[in-house]
Amino acid sequence: MMTLLPILLILIAPILFIGVINRVKALWAGRRGAPLLQAAYEIGKLLRKGEVISKTTSFVFRLSPALQIAAVIFAALLTPLPGRPAVLSFPGDFILFTYALGLAKFVMVAAAMDTGSSFEGMGASREMTFSTIVEPAFFLLLGSLALITGQTSFTDIFAFLNYSAGYSVLVKSLCTISLFIMLLVEGCRVPVDDPNTHLELTMIHEVMVLDYSGPDLAFIQYAAGLKMVLIATLLANVLIPGSAGTAGGLLLYGIALAITATGVGLVESIMARVRMTHVTQFIFLMSALAITTFSVVVFFLSGGF
Amino acid sequence: MNLLLIGAAVFFTGGVLELLIRQKRTGVVFAVSAALAQLLILPPVFAVLINGYSLAFVVDFSFPIGMAYLRLDPLAAFFVFIISIGGLLAAVYSLGYMKMYSESRYSLPVYYFFIALLVTAMLLVVTVQNALLFMIVWEIMSLASFFLVSFEHHKEEVRKAGLYYLIAMQAGAALLLTAFAWAATLAGSLDFAALGRVLGTPGAVSTCLFLFFFFGFGFKAGLLPVHTWLPLAHPAAPTGVSAIMSGVMIKTGIYGILRILLLGGVPNVFLAYFVFGVSLVTGIFGVMNAIVQHDLKKLLAYHSIENIGIIGIGIGLGMLGMVYRQEGLALCGLLGGLLHVFNHFTFKSLLFYGAGVVYTKTHTREIDKLGGLIHYLPVTATLFLVGSLAISGLPLFSGFISEFAIYTGLVRGLAAGSAILRIAIGCGLAGLAFIGVMAVLCFTKVFSVCFLGSPRAPRPERLSEGSAALLIPMAALSVFIILIGLYPLLALPFLKNTVTQFIPGSTAAAWDNLMALFGRLSLATAALGGLIVFFLSLRQLLLRGRPVQIFKTWDCGYQVESSRMSYTASSFAAPFLQLIAPFVPGHLKVRPPQGLFPREASYESHHDDFVAYYLIDPLNGLVRRFLGLFTWMQSGRTQQYILYGLAFLVMLIAWIIVMPK
Repeated sequence: MMTLLPILLILIAPILFIGVINRVKALWAGRRGAPLLQAAYEIGKLLRKGEVISKTTSFVFRLSPALQIAAVIFAALLTPLPGRPAVLSFPGDFILFTYALGLAKFVMVAAAMDTGSSFEGMGASREMTFSTIVEPAFFLLLGSLALITGQTSFTDIFAFLNYSAGYSVLVKSLCTISLFIMLLVEGCRVPVDDPNTHLELTMIHEVMVLDYSGPDLAFIQYAAGLKMVLIATLLANVLIPGSAGTAGGLLLYGIALAITATGVGLVESIMARVRMTHVTQFIFLMSALAITTFSVVVFFLSGGF
Repeated sequence: MNLLLIGAAVFFTGGVLELLIRQKRTGVVFAVSAALAQLLILPPVFAVLINGYSLAFVVDFSFPIGMAYLRLDPLAAFFVFIISIGGLLAAVYSLGYMKMYSESRYSLPVYYFFIALLVTAMLLVVTVQNALLFMIVWEIMSLASFFLVSFEHHKEEVRKAGLYYLIAMQAGAALLLTAFAWAATLAGSLDFAALGRVLGTPGAVSTCLFLFFFFGFGFKAGLLPVHTWLPLAHPAAPTGVSAIMSGVMIKTGIYGILRILLLGGVPNVFLAYFVFGVSLVTGIFGVMNAIVQHDLKKLLAYHSIENIGIIGIGIGLGMLGMVYRQEGLALCGLLGGLLHVFNHFTFKSLLFYGAGVVYTKTHTREIDKLGGLIHYLPVTATLFLVGSLAISGLPLFSGFISEFAIYTGLVRGLAAGSAILRIAIGCGLAGLAFIGVMAVLCFTKVFSVCFLGSPRAPRPERLSEGSAALLIPMAALSVFIILIGLYPLLALPFLKNTVTQFIPGSTAAAWDNLMALFGRLSLATAALGGLIVFFLSLRQLLLRGRPVQIFKTWDCGYQVESSRMSYTASSFAAPFLQLIAPFVPGHLKVRPPQGLFPREASYESHHDDFVAYYLIDPLNGLVRRFLGLFTWMQSGRTQQYILYGLAFLVMLIAWIIVMPK
């Protein structure tokens, strides 16, 4: 039971994570807001419904949501919690983590294109364009962490990650900001995408799932929430040192997730989304930070040349 | 070894018989002989791969070749396997595909003859151990493929592409010839083993020789900046040929590089970084250009360049590992590179064959005119999807396994070595991730624009699924892709002897360690498979007995449905294109609507190859201008040419007389 606790925690986290974001936004706008568990009610309702499917679509459209949720949950199995190992862990598991999320993205984009709608095409094309910038930066970040710790699996990297060296504060803050930007991009939040927009032309993630309904939509919404939580979990792993211990680690993990969700909610409340053509510039910030992180680590590890 | 040679002879005889026998269904004889050849070729190949010994065969030619060894060592056996299987699949596929030429003025027997010649020459290329003999079979291979590329020789663009290909191959061969001649002079022998001693002596000579060989073989493989023939030749050739050229023939370039590496080792550190860097740039460049293409086969050609880049990254890593004496690093790099050679053969052939089926049905290669094919060609579409997922390197499919091996090598390289190595590795990590995600972008584009949605251009007739001869090779290839993707340990042991012969010293522990890692990886992928099955059945269960309505796609209340409005490949790639615009010089031809009652308007976009545009074409122009200075010599009058010959002879005799001994 205790070994399954972390994965159960990750699996219920998306509901609360979305709840906190929405509550923060509501409070900031002076509203009371929906219940914290609203996402669970919505998913539960969707799971009990039938479906409407477009006549243009093929089996790709029907298989895609199940593949997406399976791939993202699989990625969750590879994610460690602070102070606790991941369910599956082996050297280079972070490569599988990224590529499993890539599989989810492939089938999501293919399903969006399957409907033949130009709006969904727009969303698909934007989503893929943004990923091309995020992924190399993410690998550089993980490379930096692997370099500092000398470890090659998620669990070991974060277990050995300590910030005793002088330059590590720099690395820690650079990683934190980069991962937070990644969370905003991959989670499709402001300033990259606005989950509340009502105009198909300006959507990214929402427009790709326009034609879904019923259980399929429930799968997709849950997978999207879980993906955010996974990146937030990595963020928590960077913030919480391995010395926190197992019990303390879990407590701190909860707090870190809550703070991250609050951060996302605050960003969403005080910022407008940037113009579509400028989104890439925002994401390039993450590339720049990742390159800096890697350079800093190489520089200091080599004794400053 | 005898079996292998007889097998090669059977392949060749099949082609000759095609020429001699007038039969109702051309190609059957060749297909049968190709299948028979497998029975002869595969047993020695597997024996060598599993046991790690090599089989040899000596031919005593007289002057100038001398004693020539043909040797089937594990490296050769690996490539023989790919060539042999690739030849068989192309033979079967051509049975279906070449039907569309049966009423045309192009000769099918000649086509089969040259395919047979190409396969036989490739089988010899990877086994011959003598420099002169190697160059001879290498040239036969290039010429056979030249005739295949120029199959539709009545079309001007095909002739142009064929000539371009021929010239590129001759340029590469010139480099190789120089290198072989230089090395053979120093070694005093044409035998590869003797050349190996020259190549293995550290110093400026061996470095130069390595660079000559690297670019000479790079011409065939499609490395930057000498890749420019691929995007021209592949679209021009019939699909069976594109598949065998892209899937098999360009790998002989990789074979050459590996053979040189095996003979002489890595001359110095600089070269290891050089190979790594060139490959990384090749990979990124290839996929970037693939994204902007509109022609399905041209796009696949650029993906070949990308994958050669990935293979090269693996080889470069292996070289770094060899230089820094990091067995784990060398093992991962070479294993990843070699496995990717095989994987690229499977998924690229599959994709070309898929593109061929689409072409036979729709008569267009233009992606933007396709769409909705999955409803008419469900089997082709599914198999093409398997190929797309594999080439994107996604888990559950074979492409991921080889990329994972290379990534593992990269991550291991981080732990060891200098700051320079770490920076190189950082570039490698980011670069490989960039290549991977761009491949996903490109193949979501290709697959969904060709097969999904609704047709983007009016289609007169109803389409029907391709014939069995077209689909069976594709299905066979997808079996390889899925098996390796799910359980890599099925394939990896066959590579053990090939990979470990590059690394001096004991590698048993490092190898077992790596296999254990792949064991855990396949366990993890099994979990992914299990989750997918679970959620698919959950969906079935949830939807049982519930209403599932079929309706039209949500169109925001806009009531006029028109498939011309759906997203095209160009629009899909447009946002990304903006980011990489400096690297893909584009040309627009726009005729905007004019006047109050505009009649017609048009918009044409075309993207050039950066390297061809800024480097190769200007160089070609210079060469042409220089050679233009000599055009006065070519008058077209026979008498004058005889005079030239006479003058040459007189000068030669004079030289012999005048020059002292």
